[in-house]
Amino acid sequence: MTAINDPGPDGAEPGVSTGDLAARLGLVARGDAGAFDAVYDQVAASVFGIVRRVVRDPAQSEEVTQEVLLEVWRNAAKFDPGRGSATAWVMTLAHRRAIDRVRSVQKESERERRTAAADIPFDEVAEAVESSLERERVRRCLGSLTELQRESVTLAYYGGYTYGQVASLLGVPAGTIKTRMRDALIRLRDCLGVAQ
Amino acid sequence: MKRDRQVHTLAGPYAMDAISAPDRARFERHLAGCEECSREIASLREATARLATATAVPPPPALKTRVMAAAAATRQRPPVPEPEAAVRGWRARAWPGRGRLAVAAGAVAVAAVAAAAVVFGVSNGSVQDQLSRAQASSQQIAAVLTARDATMMTGAVKGGGTVTIVMSHARRELVFTAADLHALPASRGYELWLIGPGGDRAVTMLPPVHHGMTGPVVAAGLRPGDHLALTAEPAGGPPRPTGRPTGPMMLDVIL
Repeated sequence: MTAINDPGPDGAEPGVSTGDLAARLGLVARGDAGAFDAVYDQVAASVFGIVRRVVRDPAQSEEVTQEVLLEVWRNAAKFDPGRGSATAWVMTLAHRRAIDRVRSVQKESERERRTAAADIPFDEVAEAVESSLERERVRRCLGSLTELQRESVTLAYYGGYTYGQVASLLGVPAGTIKTRMRDALIRLRDCLGVAQ
Repeated sequence: MKRDRQVHTLAGPYAMDAISAPDRARFERHLAGCEECSREIASLREATARLATATAVPPPPALKTRVMAAAAATRQRPPVPEPEAAVRGWRARAWPGRGRLAVAAGAVAVAAVAAAAVVFGVSNGSVQDQLSRAQASSQQIAAVLTARDATMMTGAVKGGGTVTIVMSHARRELVFTAADLHALPASRGYELWLIGPGGDRAVTMLPPVHHGMTGPVVAAGLRPGDHLALTAEPAGGPPRPTGRPTGPMMLDVIL
């Protein structure tokens, strides 16, 4: 489960780079504020990035990002290195929080706006950040999926839709979408060279 | 896994949070008894994490200041594995030892206590404990407690008890908790109201007292000029046709 921290053969660094995030979380769990400062520097851009991608609204995205980072501070002791990388733990928290926020916003206009956002191809909303090589690698791996797989992943993960909603949006049976989502993530995982 | 194929196919949606709350709960029950599924989810989440990190964009620098200040005022969970139910089901559980999980409501709110205390009296540590658990258990509550403009007030209730209010004008919401409220006769219960130029609105009957603590409850839709009032109303009766408080006023806070 350490492959995510491996810069990889072409030297690209993940958005959350090496620097022993797991070890720092261990220190944070014991109340080390200095370690939390370093964890913030390591993960804040990725947390803010995915939250903003899902939530869209900048002010709400900042609020959710703050909630996520406080949750990291509060619950660092819950991170179990035996069950996945530190990056995956933080990003799972961040994505879950972002999703919960958008699902609590029931306004129709909000949903429509996000539909439009989800239609934008991945690389067109990409912004210049340090980890452009990582971004490029993810873009390339998304490109290796079938169109249905890619749309399913994009609408679900970045658009915040449930698989049932994705099925309706794409006019495909829900059972098919469920399967495609799993197949897509397995392909992405293998393409990105992350563990197992 | 084979005997539960239907559930197992939710692995993809689950790893992306693309799943309704009931499906999520169903799948998590399945995960608890399927080690192989847990490993698969963990590996799929390494992939979704990369979808996340690929979106990285630096947040405004001021956010770090706020997060660090809030963390400094937030006590951490002890490193004892806690079942998820302990978080979700906190309302029905006995409070663990007082003070263990004490958390202030965020640096901004803490700073505001000094000012508010002049008017409403000194804040009560155990109520802050309760607020801390609220923060862990409810996102709506957490959003108020961590709002940039969160302010905390404490005050005394006529007949006994202390209330703590954390309010965000920007969100037009407040979180209300009470400690050691005077027990009412069974025929009456405490009811929370917003009273103002825009009309009186019943917020909610307060939940039963639990180990001396009541709430937290959220009041949303605050309007300028509102007061927060606590009254003792007939319990369990039909809805009041007037929609106005009828019982004695136990607390009146100018928001």
